[in-house]
Amino acid sequence: MGAPVQNLASRAQKSSLAEGGISAKRHNRHLFSNTMFRYYFLFSILALCLVLGLVIVFIGKTALLLFNNISPLDFFFSFNWSPEEEAFGAAAFIVNTLSLTALTLLIAVPVSVGMAVLCAEIAPAWIKSFIRPVLDLLVGIPSIVYGYLGLTVLLPFLRRVSGEGLGDGLLAAALVLALMVLPTICRISDDAIVAVPRKYRDAAYALGSTRLQVIMRVVLPAASRGIISAVILGMTRAVGETMAVVMVIGNTPQLAKTLFTPSSVLTSNIVMQISNVEFDSTWNYALHMMAFLLLLISFVLILIIRILGRNRRDAA
Amino acid sequence: MKVFKKLTVSALTAVIAVTASFAGIAAAADSLKGKITVNGSTALLPLTLQAAKEFQKLHPKVKIAASGKGSVTGPQAVKKGIADIGACDWDASIDVPGFKAFDGQVANKVAVIPFATIVNKNVGVDNLTTEQLQGIYSGKITNWKEVGGSDANIVVVTRAFGSGTRVNYQAKALAGGDIVKKEKNYKETGSSGDMKTAVATTPNAIGYIDLVYVSGSDIKAVKFNGVAATTDNVINGSYKIWAYGYYMTKGQPTGATKEFIDYVQSKKFQNGSLKKLKFIPIAAMKG
Repeated sequence: MGAPVQNLASRAQKSSLAEGGISAKRHNRHLFSNTMFRYYFLFSILALCLVLGLVIVFIGKTALLLFNNISPLDFFFSFNWSPEEEAFGAAAFIVNTLSLTALTLLIAVPVSVGMAVLCAEIAPAWIKSFIRPVLDLLVGIPSIVYGYLGLTVLLPFLRRVSGEGLGDGLLAAALVLALMVLPTICRISDDAIVAVPRKYRDAAYALGSTRLQVIMRVVLPAASRGIISAVILGMTRAVGETMAVVMVIGNTPQLAKTLFTPSSVLTSNIVMQISNVEFDSTWNYALHMMAFLLLLISFVLILIIRILGRNRRDAA
Repeated sequence: MKVFKKLTVSALTAVIAVTASFAGIAAAADSLKGKITVNGSTALLPLTLQAAKEFQKLHPKVKIAASGKGSVTGPQAVKKGIADIGACDWDASIDVPGFKAFDGQVANKVAVIPFATIVNKNVGVDNLTTEQLQGIYSGKITNWKEVGGSDANIVVVTRAFGSGTRVNYQAKALAGGDIVKKEKNYKETGSSGDMKTAVATTPNAIGYIDLVYVSGSDIKAVKFNGVAATTDNVINGSYKIWAYGYYMTKGQPTGATKEFIDYVQSKKFQNGSLKKLKFIPIAAMKG
């Protein structure tokens, strides 16, 4: 990757030198436009930070009003969510959200990383040129379409296979989510694997490694940081995804004890209830608190995986 | 650069000219002007949009912005001063189960909305009584054979708490009975469309929906206490699951808002577009 860029740069230098001495006016103009661009980007970043900060502050402020009315202990550790009877226990949603994310990654990561390896290392060129655009296309499908397919195709199938009456629950949601995050994880891992320098592979083959050994011992570890950021991106999408989940999870505020218990996660509960809740009510504050919690959960998850990634790199 | 500038200038001129000519036509029509914001029920939204289109043709200087979220957002938006009209599937000026009255708001009847109990096409039951529905929705009856059907578990589909359809169904079809959350075979949906899809694709499912949504061969509306769910039966008083749709306003409506509500309530609109949208004119009801 590096080499062509260098070539271009040196060629550009050569040509400008060939013109012989840049006029002072032109030089100043370039300086000026560079400065303006720097300010422009700085301003963009600051504006973005400001908006993000305001969002966090607003959600947090509304959310914290909740604790004027009920104790944090009740909110975080009670499994009883019946807002119409003033019981606001969100523990079931929190546990469900975490288990749904874990289950999704359990299904999606092996498949998508496997596909990435196939794409980058094994498949012949015509398969690569077919799979990659298809995956890019899948990212563009709106999530509600996935949800609708889950509702009309996946659920009847699960009902037939499992013999359940409803079929809604964690498994259905995880399968839909896995399909949704698969292209994201696969494509980014793919890029990470392709970016591993050729000389690593050549060296490993020269030492007598088999293809499997090269992939497992050399290529995947070398690409691990890229794969981890792919998993992070997939995971944040899974944690925050709403429309597809709402259609297949059943929306019953209870702990998902089995894979087929109709249940609810933070996102689906918020979207189901927020439009039917009075503005200045404990219920509304509780929903804002759940949104704030989602923010924290994704933040913590990202942090954990960043630290894991850093440790692994240090060890390598 | 020059070509670009020229293009910009000519485009701007064109836009200004077009705007001016439209404004000119508008000014000629009439003097009623103002801005009306409508918020609230999604069930009433098609009606509001249609009425707004027709009303704006008559009074081009009136701007109407309509959006739908959920019934309770209507009176809430009116209370907060965000909207002039809050569309709501129940009379929000009095207490209903789960929601306190909104003080100082006036309920203007605009339409009659019939609701129907629907079941999946595989369910053999054609008629359900109030007691049977109460049993099913409170979780006491869990098998179709208890109400005359085949031996299969009942899958209950309901709307989220606070939905206007749910408020009305609970009040009229269940006679105020509870909708209980069960461990299994209980599911909540977020909108009328989701409700229809869920019941249509789930064998042994039961749900409830606006009558206008009942179509296709995957769901069927069951009789309520022996009476079929049809607009005729609503009008002659034998089918009881229906409700008025309301436009809530802060105090008595004035100005353009009053004119708009008057238009929606007018015979011309009630018997024309409103009927075409499969709502029932308020004049058709006797109580």
